[in-house]
Amino acid sequence: MNIARKRHMRNAGILTLLVVFILPLIPYAISAVLTPPAGSTEADVQVPNPSTVLWQDVRQRGVEITGKTQVQGVDTGVLINKTGEEWRKYRMEILVPYGAYLMGGILALIFLFYLVRGSLKIPGGLSGKKILRFTLNERMVHWFTVLIFWLLGVTGLILLYGRMVLIPLLGPAGFSITASASKEMHNLIGPLFLFAMLALIITFIKDNFYSSGDMKWLFKAGGLLGGHVSAGRFNAGEKIWFWIASIFGLALCITGLILDFAILGQGREVMALSHVIHSISAIVMISISFGHIYLGTAGMQGSFSSMANGYVDENWAKAHHDRWYEQVKNAKSKDIPVQKGGVATSGVADSRKSD
Amino acid sequence: MFETLVNGIFWDIALVVFFAGIAWHIISIFRHGLRTDLAESRGSSFTGAIKANISRFFPRREMVPHIRLHVVAGYMFHLGLFILVLFAAPHIDFIAKHITGFTWTAMPHWSFVVVAQIAFAGLILLWLVRLLNPVSRLISRADDHIATILVFIVMLTGCMALSEAYTGLTLLHRFTVELLMVYFPFSSLMHAILFVPSRGFTGALFGRRGVSA
Repeated sequence: MNIARKRHMRNAGILTLLVVFILPLIPYAISAVLTPPAGSTEADVQVPNPSTVLWQDVRQRGVEITGKTQVQGVDTGVLINKTGEEWRKYRMEILVPYGAYLMGGILALIFLFYLVRGSLKIPGGLSGKKILRFTLNERMVHWFTVLIFWLLGVTGLILLYGRMVLIPLLGPAGFSITASASKEMHNLIGPLFLFAMLALIITFIKDNFYSSGDMKWLFKAGGLLGGHVSAGRFNAGEKIWFWIASIFGLALCITGLILDFAILGQGREVMALSHVIHSISAIVMISISFGHIYLGTAGMQGSFSSMANGYVDENWAKAHHDRWYEQVKNAKSKDIPVQKGGVATSGVADSRKSD
Repeated sequence: MFETLVNGIFWDIALVVFFAGIAWHIISIFRHGLRTDLAESRGSSFTGAIKANISRFFPRREMVPHIRLHVVAGYMFHLGLFILVLFAAPHIDFIAKHITGFTWTAMPHWSFVVVAQIAFAGLILLWLVRLLNPVSRLISRADDHIATILVFIVMLTGCMALSEAYTGLTLLHRFTVELLMVYFPFSSLMHAILFVPSRGFTGALFGRRGVSA
């Protein structure tokens, strides 16, 4: 083969290879040239809603803005309250269900405990001898607080759970009237609870501070884990209940006043926060009060009489508050009247002293 | 229908029983008459009656330590209820429409709330004393408890109807008032009227004898 023919064959081969690789790319090149870039045509341009930016600012998404108006007052510069929806979601999705779980759970636990242990009897039974535990003033303060608490608790639970529980029973119209009545009663009676709580705290605080033996009482769960545990006038469990009731009760009172008297310059956020604290405090107090009521009535033999007529059986005192019993019997405390003799009288003498 | 009954026949019955009952009760007391006192008068019975009516508003000093709660709670409740009945705006409107034909200035809402709470607190404290004090409990009869509970229910329904948004709640309050009016002349609630002649009689008796009591 001569050189010219070889050169001709070499050039043909190279041309063939170029055609094979380049030719398929030609359509792509043409397409790239003819297709305009994104956003360069009318169909591609995104025309924003002219109101979007405005409403984003109004809803204060990511930026705090306080508007200005000619109307002067609390929150008058707020067009849409963005925390309102957060509060509503918290109330419906967290407070209502979990509050019900807590209250229902504690009721179930109490019922279970009663089924297992029954009513705790007095070791040795009733002796028939009585000892004064609570004076008339102490019982007055306790029952006054109880009555107010019950009125407020029932009306408060109607306001919180009525929509779910009462509408199926009463219908929307019936529930509407019930809710209105409950709201008025709750708002009117509410401030009385502050005076009741203050009276309760002042009356019982002196015997509810920590004393030696309280930790031991707690570790032994008040004797539920076996054996006798010593206690003074109030055991550690009662002291814990007192402080829980005092702290949460005062929180209830303060937030209740903020909610009840919306004329003190508080805005919506303050009201929403107050409602959160108010409702949590109420549910905690109601839940723990179930235990208190149980132990004071069916749960423990001989307990109810302490608040009913002020007297308890001596065997009850020895079993549950032995240090206090010894103190009273030895007449070391001048404030607590000692019942001399065996059988309690009608209490005339004691009521005179306690007045 | 309930509205028609409460505003109509029930109200008429309550009015008749209330006034006729009170009149009957007072007349029956005064019909007993008084035994002729043959002793020489040493003082004025009229002055004694007036003096007793006023002085009994204040407890004797020796008794104060024992009845302090009764006196304070008693005044809280009675004065509170008196102010509520006569100076609450809905009551003034009702009285003007059905009885007097004229109105007077109502108290502001905030004072209504305060007075209502004081009245409630007084009533609850009084009832608790009656239940918890062993002496009061022994001498209390069913009538005392029924009267207390009935008055409490009247106050409670009034509180529930405060917003005046629902006719039903207002009707409930009026119905409980009508029940109270029917019960009133035959119960210890008559002390609201009889305390005047009762104190007066004691004061007149002592006044005639020249005793300062």
